[in-house]
Amino acid sequence: MNSVEFARELVESKFQVLKTEVVDQYQISFEVTRDDVHRLLSMLKQAGWIQLSYLSAIDWLEDNEFELVYIVMNWDKALHIQVRTRIDREHPEMDSVLSIFPGCKYYERECHEFFGVKFPGNPDFEKQLILEEWDDIPPLRKDFDPRAYSDAHFAKREYEDRHTVLNNQSSKQKQREARKERITTIGKGGRK
Amino acid sequence: MTKEEVDRKWWEIGDFFRRNSLWMLMYCTGCCAIELPPAMTSAYDMERLGMGPMATPRQADVLLVTGYLSLKTLRRLIYTYEQMSEPKYVVGFGSCTINGGIYHDSHAVINQLDQYIPVDTYVAGCMPNTEAVMNGFIDLMELIKTKKADGWKRYHENYEWYKKNQLDSLGSIEVKDEFHE
Repeated sequence: MNSVEFARELVESKFQVLKTEVVDQYQISFEVTRDDVHRLLSMLKQAGWIQLSYLSAIDWLEDNEFELVYIVMNWDKALHIQVRTRIDREHPEMDSVLSIFPGCKYYERECHEFFGVKFPGNPDFEKQLILEEWDDIPPLRKDFDPRAYSDAHFAKREYEDRHTVLNNQSSKQKQREARKERITTIGKGGRK
Repeated sequence: MTKEEVDRKWWEIGDFFRRNSLWMLMYCTGCCAIELPPAMTSAYDMERLGMGPMATPRQADVLLVTGYLSLKTLRRLIYTYEQMSEPKYVVGFGSCTINGGIYHDSHAVINQLDQYIPVDTYVAGCMPNTEAVMNGFIDLMELIKTKKADGWKRYHENYEWYKKNQLDSLGSIEVKDEFHE
């Protein structure tokens, strides 16, 4: 039995897995419900996946959901396990896994900073980590427009607008003007 | 000789020695810093121009801004620049310091370095050749010789303007992080 089959049997026998995806022989992903995450992670930790390699979120704007991805790693078996779960996007909140993996402290802070997911149980998930004095919606959300934010906050070097359109290509001038107009209407901020 | 003429002479003498022994502070902010190892080591050998690395801003003459500057780095860069003793020169590397480069639409990276601190020489390119980097240093020496490398004077004269730009983009310039509390 290789490690993919081992992990698959281990998880699927004890948990209700919504979706299993074998990425390759070194990676497997399980999607579980939000309430199962802590039990699954602590079981995996006991089974040898002792390191939380990464924790981040994916913004599914159309589904109005965030997907949290926990990646755990085993030093004996060459297999990364991704534990995925979907949470509500309007009030994103997920209990911290600090008691299982103390190393999640900084990942949770990063996730809160870039996606706005709250992690009760982690005493300083709200402390700033990478962005200092951020004043807008979390920047990695899909409804944040980094270009509008950049244009509103940072001076652009002005160049003379001298160009010719060749080969009947469509000019992007209108697009540019529309964007400029939108930025002036939303003022100082990156909301779309 | 009047006092002005004497001062001028002394400055000329000082500039002669300064431009032939530039100590550079490598505040390696971005990827253009990878061009410095070949420039410093035997391939191009910067020491033959009299340039050498310096560990502290207080004793350095040139600040090399190598590449993109995130807001977080810009705060530290302004600190570093203001710590340097005068006369001080700034060389901006790569297109990121000129107009934002490939990070022109990033929420975290500034677009134009000379809005925040004065820049004496730019080295264009993404990333610049090592030849271009060496040429930039020679340009800087030429500018010092012809008294055009006056960025630090401009910083004094337009201090309000620079401070306003810094505050507009950064909110506040004080560095507040948990490791230095």
